[in-house]
Amino acid sequence: MAKPKELLEDKPGKEILLLANEAIARGVLEAGVRLVALYPGTPSSEIGNNLTFMAPHIPNFYFEFSTNEKVALEVAGAAAVAGVRSMMVCKGPGLNVAADPFFSLAYVGVRGGMVIVVADDPSMWSSQNENDSRYYALMGNMPMIEPADPIEAKSMLLEAYKFSEKLELPVLFRTTTRVNHTRAPVKFGKISSRPDKVEFEKEPFRFVPIPSVARKRHPWLLGQIQKARELSEKSPMNFVEGKGDLGIITSGVSYNYVVEALSIMEIKAEVLKLGITHPVPEKMITDFLRRHKQVLIVEELEPFLETHARRLAQLNNITVDILGKEQNIFSRTYEYSPRIVMDALKKVTTRNTPINWDEIDKKTQELPELPPRPPLLCAGCPHRATYFAIRTATRGKAIYPSDIGCYTLSIAPPLETADILFDMGSSITTACGLAEVTDQDIVATIGDSTFFASGLPGIANAVYNQHRICVVVLDNRTTAMTGHQPHPGTGVTGMQKEVPPLDIAEACKGLGVKYVKTVEPFESIAGLVAEVREMVKWAKENHSPAVLVSIEPCALLTAAERRRTGEFPPKYYVDLEICNACKRCLNRLSCPAMYMNPETEQAVIDETLCNLCGTCVSVCPQGAIKQEDA
Amino acid sequence: MPNMSSNNSNTINIAITGVGGQGVLTLAEILAKAALHCSLNVRVGEIHGMAQRGGHVVCTVRIGENAKGPIVDPGSAHLLVGFEPIETLREIQLIRQGGCVLMSSHVQYPVAVSMGQADYLDHDEIIKSMNKYTDKIIEFDALELAAKAGSTRALNMVMLGAIIGTGLTPITEKVAIDVVREAFPKKFEKINTTATKLGLEQAKSCS
Repeated sequence: MAKPKELLEDKPGKEILLLANEAIARGVLEAGVRLVALYPGTPSSEIGNNLTFMAPHIPNFYFEFSTNEKVALEVAGAAAVAGVRSMMVCKGPGLNVAADPFFSLAYVGVRGGMVIVVADDPSMWSSQNENDSRYYALMGNMPMIEPADPIEAKSMLLEAYKFSEKLELPVLFRTTTRVNHTRAPVKFGKISSRPDKVEFEKEPFRFVPIPSVARKRHPWLLGQIQKARELSEKSPMNFVEGKGDLGIITSGVSYNYVVEALSIMEIKAEVLKLGITHPVPEKMITDFLRRHKQVLIVEELEPFLETHARRLAQLNNITVDILGKEQNIFSRTYEYSPRIVMDALKKVTTRNTPINWDEIDKKTQELPELPPRPPLLCAGCPHRATYFAIRTATRGKAIYPSDIGCYTLSIAPPLETADILFDMGSSITTACGLAEVTDQDIVATIGDSTFFASGLPGIANAVYNQHRICVVVLDNRTTAMTGHQPHPGTGVTGMQKEVPPLDIAEACKGLGVKYVKTVEPFESIAGLVAEVREMVKWAKENHSPAVLVSIEPCALLTAAERRRTGEFPPKYYVDLEICNACKRCLNRLSCPAMYMNPETEQAVIDETLCNLCGTCVSVCPQGAIKQEDA
Repeated sequence: MPNMSSNNSNTINIAITGVGGQGVLTLAEILAKAALHCSLNVRVGEIHGMAQRGGHVVCTVRIGENAKGPIVDPGSAHLLVGFEPIETLREIQLIRQGGCVLMSSHVQYPVAVSMGQADYLDHDEIIKSMNKYTDKIIEFDALELAAKAGSTRALNMVMLGAIIGTGLTPITEKVAIDVVREAFPKKFEKINTTATKLGLEQAKSCS
C-alpha cells in the first residue's frame, strides 16, 4: 500500500501508484475537506485506513470511525449543513444502514460541499449482496457521479465538491470493487486549506423537516435536480468519443472494458461515457440515440442507464435498437470483464472474438477436480477456540445466529456455527425471533466492532422483551475483516488519539443483562466449554438473555506485534512417538497451519504458518501436541 | 521495449495466484511500482477483505499503453505466476497461447485435504494438466530460496526476481532491486534483495 505519509506530500505533479481508495483519501486533502466520518466496509476500507493516519498531520481536519454508517452520515451531514466540506464513506450495504438520513439530507440540502462515497461490490467479493446503489440516487434525488478508475476517482471527486456546492446538495460518489481495488498511476494536485471553526447559522425552517417544511423542500429538491440536469448536459464528465455506426453507452469500470474490447476487436463505435449518472444528461443521450440505429448499453448489475435510454427513446419517438439486459445480451449478475463486452459485441456485430473462449472453457471443465481452498479463520484465530467450545458445549445442536465479520467463516466444516445472517447486528435480533418460535437452544455470535455498530439495540430488545438467548461477543479488540480499524472498545480514535475504551460487558450490564461473563479463549478450552454450558442453562432457566464476552486480540495483530518486538513464544510440535494419527486436531479445528503427513497420517504443524495459539494442544486426546521449552 | 505485442494490443498481462497471506498483493504492487519507475502505464487488480483469509487469491498486473481496466481474461495472460501448485492450476485458463507459467513447487495443503475430504493432486498430473495450455513451465521451490535468503516471508520477493528473470517484462534487474529497497524497512532490505536475486538467477537458469 502507498504509505499515508506519501499521500500527505505537497508535491503537485508527482505521479504515484494508487488504489482508487488511496486516490480518494488524497482527494480529501486536495478538495479541502474539513470532516470525514465513516464505518469501514470492504471494498471502501482503504479510504479510512489512510485518512486515520493522515488526519493528525492535516491542519483543521477531523476524521472519525463512527459507530456505524447511519451515525457517520449524520455526523458528516451536519458538518456540511454547518458550511464546511465533508465526506461520508461506506460499502453498498452500509448505505442501506444510512438510508434514513440519506433521504432527509437531500430534502434539507447542505451549505458546504458534501460527498457520500458508496462502494458497491459486483460479484460479492466481500459482501452479502450486490445491491445496486445507483437507485438510491434516483429514489432520493441525489446527484450521482461514477469514476471509472483511480485517476478519475480523484479528479471527479474534486468536481463532485463543486457540483455539490452549486446545487446545495450532497453528491453520491459511486464506485465498484474493480475501481476501489485497482491501482494506477495518479498525479498529485495542489493541497487546499480548510477553515478552522465556522459559525452555525440557524435556519430551522430549512434544516428541520417537519411536515410543513418537508412539503416545501420536496419541490425545491426537484428543482435542484432540474438544475443539476442542465449542469450534467454541459459537464466534461459526460463525453462522447470515437466514431461509428454502433453506439455504446457506458459508465464506471465498464468503460475500460468497452475501450479495450473495441481496440482488440478493431470495431469502430461511438461511445457515450457518463460520469454523471444522476441526473443523466437527457438531451445528450437523446441526440446520441438519434444518431444510431443500434445502441449497446454496458453497465454492471441492474439496467439503470438502459431503462433511462428506453424511456428517452419512447418520449422522443426515436426508432433505435437499445441492446442490453432486456434482451439478455448482458447479465444482471456479477462483475464484467473485457471478455463479456467482446462476447456482446460478437452478438451485435459481424466480428469474431480474438480468443476462442468456448474452447478454453471446455478444456477447463475437463481439468481434474481441485481441492477447494475457501477463505477461513487464520491460524491462531481466537474465534476458532471459541467456536470449538460453543460447538462442543452444545453438541452442534443449538441454533447459531451469526453476524458480519471474519467469524462468519465459521460457516465451514468442522466448526459449522453460522446458521442465519441478514446484516450487521442480526445475530442478536434473529436469535430473539427464533427464541419465540422454537424450543432449541440459541447461541448467537457477534464481533466487537459489530456489537457497537448494531448490536446494542438488539441487546436492549432481548432484555426488555425477555428473550432467552445466549450471545457470545467475539472480542478480538479490532475491526479485523476490513483491515484492523479501531472501534469504541479499542481506546483509539480515528484521529489516533488515546481515549478510555467502552467496555462491552459493562454496556450489557448497563442495558440490564443479568448474566454477563468475560473469558479469555486461550486460557482453557475445557473451561470455555463449561462456561458456554452454564450460560445456555442459565438463559433457559431464567428466560432472559445471557452474554459471554470472549476476549483475545486478533491473531494477525498478535503476529505483527511479535514480529515488531522479535519476541516469540516457543514453537508447538507434534510428538511423533505419541501421535496415533487419530486426526482429531485436523478434523475438529481445520487450522491452516496443520496438515497430515500423507505417509504416516500423523499431524504436522507448519511452523511458517503457525501463530502459536496452542488450541490444538487441548484438542489432542493423546497429549501429543507439545510446546518446545522456553 | 522487449516483446510488448500481443494480438493488436501492446500490453503485457501478468496474473499472480496463491494463498491469502503468501504476499501475492505485495508482489503485484512492487511489480507495478517497478513498471511505473520505467515510465510505463500500469494497472493492478486486487481483491481484499473476505477473499484474503487464507483462501485462494488472484491478482493481476497489466503493463503497457492499452491497459485500462484491471482484468486479465482467460487466454490472455503472458505470464501466470503461481505461489503454490494447485493454486497455479486453478488459474491456468488465464494463460494465453504460448504463455509462460512460473510456479513455486512448494505445496501448502488446503484444509479440505488435511481433513481428508479431498485429495491433493499428484505433481505429474498437475504438470500434465498445465501442459494442455502451455509447454512453458518454469518450476522451482521458491520457499526454499526464500528461507535461504533469510525468511520464508520473502517468498514473494523470490517470485519477483523470477518474473524479472524470465525476461518477459520490460523491467530490469536494477530497477526491481531499487524498488524493493525503497518499499520495505531497512532491516528487511538484505533478505528481500537476496531473495529477489535468488529468484532471478533461478528463472534465468531455467528459461
